[in-house]
Amino acid sequence: MKVILTGNEAIARGAYEAGVRLTSGYPGTPVTGVMESTMKNYKDIYCEWSVNEKVALEVAIGSSFAGYRSLVVMKTVGLNVAHDALMAVAQSKINGGLVLVVADDVGRITDDHNDCRYFGDSAGIPILEPSNSDEAKDYTKLAFEISEQYSLPVIIRVTSVTCKTGSFVNINEYYEYKAITNKKYDCSSYAVLATTAMIGMKNCNDSRLLKYHNDFVGSLKELGKASNSMNINSIEMNSSEIGIITAGVTYCYTKEVMPNASILKLGIINPLPENLIKEFASKVKKIYVIEDGQNVLEKNIKSLGIDVIGEEIFPKFPYMTYFTPDIIEEKLSPETSIRKKPRNDVPFRLPMNCAGCSHTFIYHILQKNKIKASTDVTCGGLGAFPHINAFNNAKNMGSSISIAHGYNMVSEKEQKYVAVIGDGGFWATGINGLINLVYNAGNSAVIIVENSCIAMTGGQSLPSGEFGTNYNPKNRLDIADTCRALGVKNVKVVDPYEIDNLEKDILEAVDAHDISVVIVKKECLVKFKTQKLGVCNINYDKCIGCKSCLKVGCLALEYKSGKVLINKDLCVGCKLCMNICKKEAIEYEER
Amino acid sequence: MKKDEGKNIIICGLGGQGVVLLGKILTDFYDKEGYNLKISNVMGLGQRGGDVQCHLRYSTQAIMSPIIKYGDADYIISFEQSETLRNLHYLNDQGTIISSKFELSSPTVNIGIQKDIQGNKIEIMKDNAPHVYIIDTEKYVNSEINLSKVINVILLAFFARLMKYDDDKLLDALKRNVNAKYIKDNIKGYEFGKKIFKDYCKDVD
Repeated sequence: MKVILTGNEAIARGAYEAGVRLTSGYPGTPVTGVMESTMKNYKDIYCEWSVNEKVALEVAIGSSFAGYRSLVVMKTVGLNVAHDALMAVAQSKINGGLVLVVADDVGRITDDHNDCRYFGDSAGIPILEPSNSDEAKDYTKLAFEISEQYSLPVIIRVTSVTCKTGSFVNINEYYEYKAITNKKYDCSSYAVLATTAMIGMKNCNDSRLLKYHNDFVGSLKELGKASNSMNINSIEMNSSEIGIITAGVTYCYTKEVMPNASILKLGIINPLPENLIKEFASKVKKIYVIEDGQNVLEKNIKSLGIDVIGEEIFPKFPYMTYFTPDIIEEKLSPETSIRKKPRNDVPFRLPMNCAGCSHTFIYHILQKNKIKASTDVTCGGLGAFPHINAFNNAKNMGSSISIAHGYNMVSEKEQKYVAVIGDGGFWATGINGLINLVYNAGNSAVIIVENSCIAMTGGQSLPSGEFGTNYNPKNRLDIADTCRALGVKNVKVVDPYEIDNLEKDILEAVDAHDISVVIVKKECLVKFKTQKLGVCNINYDKCIGCKSCLKVGCLALEYKSGKVLINKDLCVGCKLCMNICKKEAIEYEER
Repeated sequence: MKKDEGKNIIICGLGGQGVVLLGKILTDFYDKEGYNLKISNVMGLGQRGGDVQCHLRYSTQAIMSPIIKYGDADYIISFEQSETLRNLHYLNDQGTIISSKFELSSPTVNIGIQKDIQGNKIEIMKDNAPHVYIIDTEKYVNSEINLSKVINVILLAFFARLMKYDDDKLLDALKRNVNAKYIKDNIKGYEFGKKIFKDYCKDVD
């Protein structure tokens, strides 16, 4: 049966048809949908949002070792967090197939320079890259077979485009779910242990020692040989003038704009099917490599001694651009290229917090009191953009507490640097920063913005929330209780809409000599569809057009032809702008 | 009438306006009509206030690229004027624009780190496309529903009338894709879109 599925939904379907027993993951655009589809449609599979990507991978490693096929889902930024676990499992014997779905956020403006294909090289594991939803489903099933046959974890690489593009998928409508098991080994250890156990002992062929041995390098080489005849790699011969080597969705763009070129489409991008590439190279005069992300394929193919053209005509930096049909056509087929260009006068839209979001209140207090602060890449990180500019330092998820701590330990004479972190970032890895702060007798002030979900990626569950697939009220972890249990004496909980209390609590925390935590609690307005209280209006008799209300970056406020306007559909009546206005020109009206 | 062999449609607007849902309803409709199709919701930033674009392609032939080439779109269905202009280069020379009159200025313009587009945006659209339809919901007062909340189905109904599609088939697709709680308001919005189309035809006459 043919149905339209996004790449994310197709991967979830593929895992289901592969008899996966466990799926774990951590939210990350664009790949969150794999988990959401699994939770919604395939309840036979045990599925969990783990607290971070490293934990998610370790959970999947455990279930794989128990003999069950296991899938783990994250974006490449998260695989950085899980890299240690990945290296360890890559060197270990695999029982139940272990497959990682990893998304590179290429295909959007958000550009993090991450490319998960480097992990194929560093960890020495296979990577498959589908070009559409039907392949996403099939490659997922194939990945489990490869994982078990070669005793290697397998990465399925997807991008923003493959994840979020809907296309037809052939699904087996008569399929009946059955968990597939494969349990060969009762000992699975990584290279550090294995080599330590074996090196130096003359009797390393003793079965007690031999069970530690795992030739993971040899397994990858075996797969490399076999990949030359795998049907997911294919040569489509046309003109012998131009040959293009490509993988993933860029294959679809290439086919569309270069119908006369010969194409080598790679389904497996690590290890490379070397003989197939050499065969292709011998048939065409000039070879281009078209790949989303960094020039990984290009470098690896060049290292085979094959002359290919990539980055020199498709430069990727300063930003890591992604391909579109137009980019390929402009360079390789200028005669058919249409000369239309995007206008350069349309203002860029920076992402914003929703009107009424707790984070905008924090931005205001920080700016008003000239407090220096660090944040991370969550909804609270949006305040670091230039239209708000409320932070001095914005880094990776969960980092703000440790960064503020380091700053404060060496800058005694300055006013304290404040850490701002969301509840998602706090549970992911921020909690380690807090433990470290207590352990090393720091003195930082920490603001935890609790909106009761992982908001940035669409409102997924977390340990202090009150919902979720595996939610049980008995197991809910309260953030204030947790901070106290970790040894923080000054813990306050405040509603951001009580802005005077919020300011007082934050200033006290900044002035305190000891560690202080202020928990700013208000649920995410989008996730929980909070009822609007009222609406703010501008009294133009009083408004002097000073624009100070615009500085907090409220989405409901606009400035048009010399006037500040409030968009009534977006305004939730949070009164933040009223509090900022010195002329009392903003009035509140109940709904 | 010759069977429609396929079109490329750009649907664009701002996060939270219902761009993705409109794409979903049309995808469902074209699927039931038996077309091949690809739909891609990827560009821009997903947060509130960020721009959202959806590339929808349906065809009797196989479709390769999920992304529409510049100058290859037959229609732009837009929820906001600046967003129409952001995507103008996708439209082909015979193309049609259906754009909401709604405007939301970018925060970067509000605080003066960027300038807004100079000139009248609707005139720019008309200078660049042979067929431009501007949907002005502010001309209407409706006590039953908030028209700005159902702008997606208003645009859907307008587009469906323009294409002479069967309303019942589109309403069926709508019902399959809209959360049960909101179906009633969405159907009212659709009916309103039909009314706006009718008024448009009158005005043109």
